[in-house]
Amino acid sequence: MATSIHLDTVRKEFRTLGNTHVAVDDLSLDIPEGSFTTFVGPSGCGKTTTLRMLAGLETPTSGTVSFGDEDVTDLPPQERNVSMVFQSIALYPHMSVRENIGYGLKIHGVPKAERDERIDEAAAVLQIEAQLEKMPAELSGGQQQRVALGGAFVQDPDVLLLDEPMSDLDAKLKSDLRVEIQRLHQELDTTVVYVTHDQTEAMTMSDQVVLLRDGELAQVDPPKQLFDYPNSEYVAQFIGMPSTNVVDCAVEAGDGGTALVGPGFELSLPAGVEAPTSDRVRLGIRPQYLDVGSDGACRLSVDVEVVETLGTESVVHGRLEDGTPFDVVSDAVDDAVAGDRLDVSFDLADAFVFGEDGETILFGSERAGERSSSPAGAGGVTP
Amino acid sequence: MATSAGRGLVSHDTQKRLQRIAVYLTALLISVFTIIPVYVMVVIAIQSPATTFAGGRVNLLPTEPSLRNFLVLLGSTDTVRYFVNSLVVTLGSTVLSTTIAVAAGYGLTRFDFTGKSLAARAVLFSYMFSPIVLAIPLYVVFSTLGLLNSHFALTLALTAISAPFCIWLMWQYFQTVPIALEESAWVRGASRWRTVRDVVLPVARPGYISAAIFAFAVAWNDFTMARVVMSRDEMYTITVGASLFLDRVSIGWGETMAVSLLISIPPFLIALFLQRYLLQGFSVGGLE
Repeated sequence: MATSIHLDTVRKEFRTLGNTHVAVDDLSLDIPEGSFTTFVGPSGCGKTTTLRMLAGLETPTSGTVSFGDEDVTDLPPQERNVSMVFQSIALYPHMSVRENIGYGLKIHGVPKAERDERIDEAAAVLQIEAQLEKMPAELSGGQQQRVALGGAFVQDPDVLLLDEPMSDLDAKLKSDLRVEIQRLHQELDTTVVYVTHDQTEAMTMSDQVVLLRDGELAQVDPPKQLFDYPNSEYVAQFIGMPSTNVVDCAVEAGDGGTALVGPGFELSLPAGVEAPTSDRVRLGIRPQYLDVGSDGACRLSVDVEVVETLGTESVVHGRLEDGTPFDVVSDAVDDAVAGDRLDVSFDLADAFVFGEDGETILFGSERAGERSSSPAGAGGVTP
Repeated sequence: MATSAGRGLVSHDTQKRLQRIAVYLTALLISVFTIIPVYVMVVIAIQSPATTFAGGRVNLLPTEPSLRNFLVLLGSTDTVRYFVNSLVVTLGSTVLSTTIAVAAGYGLTRFDFTGKSLAARAVLFSYMFSPIVLAIPLYVVFSTLGLLNSHFALTLALTAISAPFCIWLMWQYFQTVPIALEESAWVRGASRWRTVRDVVLPVARPGYISAAIFAFAVAWNDFTMARVVMSRDEMYTITVGASLFLDRVSIGWGETMAVSLLISIPPFLIALFLQRYLLQGFSVGGLE
């Protein structure tokens, strides 16, 4: 039975040699039952610690964790019906694949016949039937990861926890397993919590993405919402590949209203848009929303440094005239080479304006009607 | 490097060949020093003294193998009793020392407690002691407790010598056993004890087998502690017993070599069957 998960002002401190390190700081969060929720963030942001608290491997310093209505804050891992797949895979080297998958069932006293039946079933789903009698050391990395997954879901857990399960796999295997995990989630009646530092995994698989920063919640939203409405500069830069361009701008009030003035461009805010209260703001624009040419409302030039060709489109890494790094993703820049100057333009509808503290103070799309162009690589999916 | 890529004095192939010859020569030299004494021991043990010393010189090419020396040992000495004594205290001490080492190694790597680093340093420090330094204090302790001349006391004394190194070995070994293996078992519902039994011990097997072999070697070859703790003839271990044979008129070199051969059999068997584990365990302990 899938269960919902509630975190209430959970705080976790680690004390070493008189230093107190706050790994998770007052985190409150609801994870709906049966959902696929991803914790994402850079290393050291507290995502794995949070997952370990859900598993019962760490106890929160303060706050409560509940599964449904049951307070599980102080329950040891053995007494929670959770399964976990570890980053290091953690297969028992002295047990065959069959024994590895069935170990949890054995602990719970499931008779051998039923155990074998369920193991065979799991192996069929994961396509590792041929490997069942082998030892873990004989398997490839991808197969080992499948075995670990099998061992986790064969127990029919309420909550399935995955701690960066794919970080050691190559790109091809990653995309295969990504699909596999989503298929599993659809078949199983379980709440999945997935930890990753890879925003692509987070964006492609989840119902809900939890973005953490230094142990604090940065934003919780479905992937599309997170991509389109990042509530801070941090979120906008973390989500999306390549990362959102951010340019320093001055706010200047003129005759025709307020304008944002940046290196080599000026963007006037239409009437009715509340002008920023500060003198300086930062303007965010996703590389995918830039048009090569000058049809957009706001034009600027980029000095090309590196061009990466991805097949259907190219990523141009360049700089603005004041040296600010600036990336462009487009299918119309195939012939660009280093040293070129590229004219690009964008509309206010596609831009974000961040205040001095990094909070988003203006979503272009909210102020200037519907989004004008559809992005080339929306969703941050890298091929 | 003496030569630069292919153009030097000696070609790459020649270098490799020279390297191999050097390795073989070294191995041969070491073998000579270890094999000759063993050979002499075996030859003298399996010939009757009359054959060995026939013609006023030592005959080292066996012509008439005989069990005469062994029969003398069985007939006129307490060799069997000594051997049994040795086996009892060696097995006891091996089991005790290994158990302590596994428990200590697990604890030192899996739990945080105050004084942990102090405890670890104390273990290494106590390993520095020579057995003779411990001998007198232990004699006083056992004498006070009335434990002299008991297998139990000698077992404890031997454990005191082997345990520090065994603990250190297991401590190093457990550091290589990923804690995620245990956590994975806990999450699946296994209690801590069950996890130790099902996961930790099987994975740590090369480690504790190495520790056991070391403890065995210390106890089996011990002379000092047995000499100090045991004063009654029927409690002697084989090492002490054998050393006293030469003092007797009735026992000569033939019998002494025969008992030496007997002493070498258990370590030989262990080395033969368990060397794979020994190497695995020691390479982790940084003793490669």
